[in-house]
Amino acid sequence: MTLNPYFDFVHQFFTSYGCAILEKSESHLKVQLTSSMDEEIMNRPFYWHYMKKMNRPGDPMQLLFTNTSHSKEGGIYLHAGTPKLHTIYRAAIKKGKTARLYEAVVQPLENRALCPWLVVNIHLHYRGKQSKDETLSLGLNLVHGTLLPNMMDRLWKMEFEPTVSDYTFPMTPLINLENAYKRIERYVEGYVSSISDEWATLSLKHLQEEKVLLESFYSSEDIGLEQFTKEQEQIATRYSPRILMEAVNGGLFYISQKSNSYVINNLAAD
Amino acid sequence: MVEIHPDHTFIPTLRDNLNNPNHLSNWEGFKLAYQAAKINTVPNFDGLLALEHLPHVQFLDHQIEAAERVIHQMNGRAILADEVGLGKTLEAGLILKEYMIRGIARKILILTPASLVNQWVQELNDKFYIQAASPRKKQAAWSDWDVTVTSIDMAKREAHRQEILSIPYDFIIIDEAHKLKNHQTKNYQFVQELKKTYCLLLTATPIQNKLSDLFNLVSILKPGYLGNLTDFKKKYRYEANKQGNIEHIHSLVGKMMIRNRRKDTGLDDSKRIVVNERLKFTEEEQKMYQELELLKSDHPSFTWLTLAKELCSSREACYMSLNQMRQQSNEQTMAVYSKFIEQLQQLPHHVKAKRMIELISETNEKFIVFTEYRATQFYLQWYLQQHGISSVPFSGKFNKSKRDWMKQLFKNQAQVLIATEAGGEGINLQFCHHMINYDLPWNPMRLEQRIGRIHRFGQEHDVKIYNFAIENTIEDHIMKMLYEKIEMFKNAVGDLDHILEQIPGGSFDKQIQTIIDQSDSKGEIDIKLNNLVSYVEHSISERRETS
Repeated sequence: MTLNPYFDFVHQFFTSYGCAILEKSESHLKVQLTSSMDEEIMNRPFYWHYMKKMNRPGDPMQLLFTNTSHSKEGGIYLHAGTPKLHTIYRAAIKKGKTARLYEAVVQPLENRALCPWLVVNIHLHYRGKQSKDETLSLGLNLVHGTLLPNMMDRLWKMEFEPTVSDYTFPMTPLINLENAYKRIERYVEGYVSSISDEWATLSLKHLQEEKVLLESFYSSEDIGLEQFTKEQEQIATRYSPRILMEAVNGGLFYISQKSNSYVINNLAAD
Repeated sequence: MVEIHPDHTFIPTLRDNLNNPNHLSNWEGFKLAYQAAKINTVPNFDGLLALEHLPHVQFLDHQIEAAERVIHQMNGRAILADEVGLGKTLEAGLILKEYMIRGIARKILILTPASLVNQWVQELNDKFYIQAASPRKKQAAWSDWDVTVTSIDMAKREAHRQEILSIPYDFIIIDEAHKLKNHQTKNYQFVQELKKTYCLLLTATPIQNKLSDLFNLVSILKPGYLGNLTDFKKKYRYEANKQGNIEHIHSLVGKMMIRNRRKDTGLDDSKRIVVNERLKFTEEEQKMYQELELLKSDHPSFTWLTLAKELCSSREACYMSLNQMRQQSNEQTMAVYSKFIEQLQQLPHHVKAKRMIELISETNEKFIVFTEYRATQFYLQWYLQQHGISSVPFSGKFNKSKRDWMKQLFKNQAQVLIATEAGGEGINLQFCHHMINYDLPWNPMRLEQRIGRIHRFGQEHDVKIYNFAIENTIEDHIMKMLYEKIEMFKNAVGDLDHILEQIPGGSFDKQIQTIIDQSDSKGEIDIKLNNLVSYVEHSISERRETS
C-alpha cells in the first residue's frame, strides 16, 4: 500500500489484466501493456488497424506512472484528474460490467447447493440546483428474496471463480432477473425517501422562484412565446430535483450455504 | 417528491452477456469496476472538486471564489467581467471543469474571436485536461464533438448554423462578449437562439458606452430580467438621478456578474515602473523640425502635424510621407519637398534610436519596442542588427501562424520584438518585462493595451516601461499634457476606458487631433488640452464617488 490510492488502483488494474509490471517502487510503476490493453486505452486506432491489416503483431507500448508531480524520470503523475486514469476507469467499468461467479469451495461440504444472488452496484446521480453522486451496492437473494445493502463490502474477502467448483452445484433462481431488478429499484426509492430531502426542497424552491419570474416577464411582454418556452425548458433542466439511477455493474453470484449466513449477518466477511 | 429516472438498459445487457460468457468478467475485474466507479464519484454538493483534479495549476484566491460563486450561487449563468489580466479564462476553465467532473456538462461550445481559438484549445488541453476540437474549413462534426471551440463567424455560417442551433448544449462560453453589446446584430441574434443550459460570458469591459450594453448581455443569460430594452432605457434615462434606481439596477446585475479589480486582488505584486525619457534633438534635427513649421502657412495644419510626429520617430518615417507628397505635387511645390528630403538625408542617426540601443545593451533582458510607423520598424531592426542585437518584427496584420512564429522566435532566440501595433487581443508576452514606447499613441488606452501585453496575470517580475519623447516638440507636449496628468501609469486603469469613449464630440484621438488642428498657437493648444484633461479627471472622480 502506498499513500496514493490511484497508484494502488492502477497497479491492481494492470496486474489483473495480464500486463507485466517491469519496475515498481514506492514512487513509480512501469508497465508493459498487452496488445489488447494498448488498443483499449492508448487511443491509437489507426495504428492497430494498420497492423491488423498487415497481419503484424504490433508493438504495444510501455507506460510509466509516478506518485509525485516532480519525478526525475518523468512519467504520468497519478492524481484525481489524470486523463489516463479516467481512461482506465472507463476501461475497468466496461470490462467488469457483468459477471456470473461461483464461490470457490475447496473442501466438499455437506450441503453442496450454491444459492444465487443478484448483485448490482448502483450510482445515484443527484441533479438539481446542486449535484452529487452516491454509490450503493445491493444484493438480492434470488431464492428467498433477502435484500442486503453494502453487498460488495460483505463479499470483498471471499473467493469467486467463473466456473463452479467440484462437488457443488448452483440452485436455479426462483425470482427472475426482471423481478429481482424491480425489487432493487423499489428499495432505491425507499432509500431515497428515507434520507434528507433538503437539497430537493431547496432546488424546488428555486425552480418555483425562477418560474414565477419568467412568467411575469412573459405576461408583461418583456419576452416572446418562443423564448419563454425555451427558457422554461432550461430552467427545468437546471433546477428540477431528480435522481438518475445508473447500474454501474452487476451479476449473478452463487454462494454456499455456509457463507450465506455469514454474508447476511456480518457486514464484512473477514 | 423526487423523481427517479431508472436505468432500464442493465438487465437486458446482463441477460445477453449471461448467454455469451466471453463477455463476463472474473471476480477481480468485477471488483475493479466497482472500485473505479467508487473512486470516481462526486461525494458532496459543495466545494470545487476541480481543484483536486488540477494540482498543476496555481489558482488565485479570487479565481477560486469566483468559480464557487458562479457554481453554487449563480447556478452556472454569469458574466465574468474581471479587469484585463486577472485570468478570466482560468476562471471559466475551472467552472467548466467542475461541471464536467460532476457529469452535468458533456456537450460544450466555446465561442471566441478567431484569433483566440487555438489558444483556447491549447489552454483547455494543457491546464484543464479537456480535449477540445475546432472546426476547419471542410471538417466539422458539431454533433460528434463533445467540446468545440470556434468563432461566432464560423458558427453562424449557413453551412453550420442550423446544425449548431439544433444541438442542446449543456454549457456555452462566450469570450470577448462585449462584442455582443448590440442586440440588432446577427451575432447577437445567433447567440440568443443557441440552446444552452449553463452559460458564461467573458468580458473585461461589460459597459463600453452605455448601460444598455450591459442590458443586452444580461438578456442572453436571463431574458426579461431587466425588463425590455425600451422600458429599461426610459427608466434609466429619466430617473438616472434617483439614487435608488441605480442601486436597484446594480443589485440586479450584481446577482449575475463577477467583477474583480486589480486593486482588490492583491495582484499588484508585480509593479509597473514607468520612466519618462525626455530626449533632446541634435542641432540639425531641431533645425529641421523648426523649418517644418513653415509648412503651416500654406498647408493644412494636419500635414505639418503628421510630418512633425514622423520626424520625432525616424528620418525614414518622415521620408515616406515627404516622398509621397513630392510625387503628388506640382512643379512649384516640388522644390520645397525635395529640399526637405535632402535635408533629411543629412541627419545623423535618430536620437531615440541611439537611446534605445543604450538601454538594450545595458542588460541581456528581452525588450518590446513599440512604434507607430512601419518605416521606423524597419529602420530600428536594421539599426539593432548593426549593433549585434537580434530582433523580430511584429504586426497585428500578420496572420495567425506568422504571429505565433514571431512570438516563438522572440521567446527562444531574439532579444527584441519590434511591434507596430498592440497586436490585437490575446497575445501574451509575460516572459518579457521591459518595454520601450518608442512613439506614444495619442490615445492613452492604446498605451494601456500595449502595457497589458506584458503586465498581466502571470507576470512574475516588476515591469519596466520607458516612454520616449523629444523635448520641445509636439510629442513632449502630448506626454506632459496627457500622460502625466491623467495619472494613468500609477493605477492600472479600470474605468478610464469607458470615460474616454464617452467624451462628447467624438473619440479621444479625434479630440486631440482637432485641438491641434484648429489652434493657432501653442498657448491655445495648451489651454484646450488642459480642458480636455480636466474633463477626464472630473469624470473619473465622479465615477469613483458613485461606485
